[in-house]
Amino acid sequence: MQHMQKQKILIVDDSEMNRSILADMLGEEYEILEAEDGVQAVAELQKYGAELSLVLLDIVMPEMDGFGVLSVMNKRRWIEEIPVIIISSETRSSHMERAFEMGVTDFISRPFDALIVHRRVVNTILLYAKQKKLVGLVADQIYEKEQRSSLMIDILSQIVEFRNGESGLHVRHVHLLSELMLKELMQMTDRYKLSRADISLISTASALHDIGKIAIDEAILNKPGRLTPEEFEVMKTHSMIGSNMLKEMPIHQNEPLVKVAAEICRWHHERYDGRGYPDGLKGDEIPISAQIVALADVYDALTSDRVYKKAIPHEEAVQMILDGQCGTFNPLLMDCLTNVSETIQRELSNDSPDRMSQREMRNIADEMVRHEELAASERTLYLLEHERMKYRFFAQMTQEIQFEYTVSPSMATITPWGAEHLGLDELIMDPLNDRRVLSLLKEEDWKRVIETLHATTIENPMATHVCKLNNNGRWRWSRIITRSIWSADDPPQYTGIIGKAIDIHDSQTKMDTLERMASHDQLTGLLNHVSAKKQIVKRMETNTDSQFALVIFDLDHFKFFNDNYGHDFGDRVLVHMAEKLRQRIRKCDIAARIGGDEFLIFLEYRDDLEPIIKRIFSFLSGNYGNLDISVSMGIAEASLLGADYDSLFHAADQALYTVKRNGRGYYRFYNNMMRDVLSQISPIESDRELSVHHHLDESAEGAAEEEDAK
Amino acid sequence: MTLQECYAMFGGDYEGVVSRLRSEKTVKKFALKFLNDKSYELLCSSLEAGAYEEAFRASHTLKGLCQNLGFSRLLESSTRLTEALRYGWSAEAAGLVDEVADDYRQVARAVQQLEE
Repeated sequence: MQHMQKQKILIVDDSEMNRSILADMLGEEYEILEAEDGVQAVAELQKYGAELSLVLLDIVMPEMDGFGVLSVMNKRRWIEEIPVIIISSETRSSHMERAFEMGVTDFISRPFDALIVHRRVVNTILLYAKQKKLVGLVADQIYEKEQRSSLMIDILSQIVEFRNGESGLHVRHVHLLSELMLKELMQMTDRYKLSRADISLISTASALHDIGKIAIDEAILNKPGRLTPEEFEVMKTHSMIGSNMLKEMPIHQNEPLVKVAAEICRWHHERYDGRGYPDGLKGDEIPISAQIVALADVYDALTSDRVYKKAIPHEEAVQMILDGQCGTFNPLLMDCLTNVSETIQRELSNDSPDRMSQREMRNIADEMVRHEELAASERTLYLLEHERMKYRFFAQMTQEIQFEYTVSPSMATITPWGAEHLGLDELIMDPLNDRRVLSLLKEEDWKRVIETLHATTIENPMATHVCKLNNNGRWRWSRIITRSIWSADDPPQYTGIIGKAIDIHDSQTKMDTLERMASHDQLTGLLNHVSAKKQIVKRMETNTDSQFALVIFDLDHFKFFNDNYGHDFGDRVLVHMAEKLRQRIRKCDIAARIGGDEFLIFLEYRDDLEPIIKRIFSFLSGNYGNLDISVSMGIAEASLLGADYDSLFHAADQALYTVKRNGRGYYRFYNNMMRDVLSQISPIESDRELSVHHHLDESAEGAAEEEDAK
Repeated sequence: MTLQECYAMFGGDYEGVVSRLRSEKTVKKFALKFLNDKSYELLCSSLEAGAYEEAFRASHTLKGLCQNLGFSRLLESSTRLTEALRYGWSAEAAGLVDEVADDYRQVARAVQQLEE
């Protein structure tokens, strides 16, 4: 074979010295890959597959020994494609026997002799290359054969049966007889240069021999009794008609099958002595295909019931043919018929559609046995390699972590880039018990991932998880997409998964930041009004059995701070208040800055609201530097107003306005009497008299007493 | 010192190895490389640690190397040590460890001289 590239040999030995001695002996002609233990060997096998021309394998190694490698090679069926030569000094017969049973081709014992090593390696590689080629040839032939014969014969049998109820089996029989006689003829002589493929082709094409009869008037075709000379002339035209039909086909004219079939159609009524029709060919001027089919045709006509006669027994029919009562045939074919006479009788008496397919199966099985496993033809292998190369290329380009997991043997493989990125090996045995693999995801994510994987089905094999992935110590948001794989068996067996992990950390973080920016107040870091409202509405929708209150407060005389100490100082006061607010509220409360110095608090509570309010209120009031800070606060309860945001907000606003109008520095609950009060948030000048209750600033000490007007 | 003299010093099969590896140059290359091989060290350290399975593997590797390089005397003692360690520690292993150590030192000394 001429290859531009050197063939690859994998040397597996734990001793670097031994590897380099072997590499030294082979390196000029082959590309040498090395592995120092079984696990590495499996990784290389996984990576290169049938690109490897040979594996030189040591037995005694750490991690996974040579038998371990052989066992994986058997499970993954690599052993059928890649020859293995054992290079161990373990030459005890039990070892050797076990290795041969596991598909090893040869042993090279130590000490290595350069000539012997070289010769064995060359021989083994050549032998496998030849075998692969043969396997490819046979596979192609069998495939074609299968395609051609069974379908064609079934269809044609049906057509003929339909036209002529009595000869439904005729086409089948002619096929079978032709095949038997051709096989025999091939054994007897090489005069006709018949190959197995030719035999298959002729016997398949034989099914078409009478195809021209579909153009013959049914009255003549099925006439009981003798045909008149005129009718016989019409009948004779079927051979030419059949041949022309095939020759005039718009497509497939050059198919060997069509050519052979046309030959058979036209000349299956010729006679060896030249007295046949339509062309009066003589002797071997008649193609062997037509000669064989003619004989098969006559034999089956004799032994079957026809509208004009009864079936004649086998022996008598053969005798009649041999005696020349049914035309003149090639003497060689006469011998051939005699030789297969017994087989014919046996096979035909058993023939039925079912038997037929069994026979086909047996033929195929025979060929299979002769050439072992016919996994794929060379072309298929080539395509496979091509796909692998493409896959590796793209995997490298994408910077995605791609992986594969097989259940048996329990093994994970990761693309080279991915493995390096994760700080893992490319091949990991028993990954579900591997500490490093387990540390890739947080425990709860593993649980989730495994749950969704278990939920995949053949119809819905895909699963996606977004979670943080441990990238060699850095936790990064990733999207993990997997596809579960099942075998083609019946019932299908779950065999593993393939998948990839895409790093979405940057985009995810950016999104988070943007979302944060959009929903939070820049100065204080509290929520802004819009997002607070969203959260509050959602909360009230989900926790229907809780009690809620909405609180709005602002800083008293904030304008004074701004005007006298500057806006920067004002901002610092706001930040200080926001910080205090954050300290005081509980995790489940929602706090927001909704305007200049206006803040909102949303509280969820079970029992008594007022102590909570009192606590917050008194905590917010106090000093900032030398300055006293006091706040005014309005509170609206959902128990009074319903769980409607706008109503609550409006009511709290009105309560706050009420406080502002009546001296500031205290808090107030909204009550129905405030319904017509104006808004503090969007104030409108008004002199309307307010009906309010005063709370004095004592509440700053936490001793306020609420005289609720409710 | 010639390679042949070196092999004579530690009881090696000079003719055999040259005919197998095809050239004196190759043999010399690998003989010198032998000094860098870690299997003897591994043998000693694993014996010390009582890791007999690993000691067996190291001894096995050493034996394979000696086979390939035609270090007959060391091959002989390391083969017996390998067998003595095949199923863990055994009574005769102790004596064999010393034998292997002696033979190894001879090889190492001769090869070092060859290098100089």
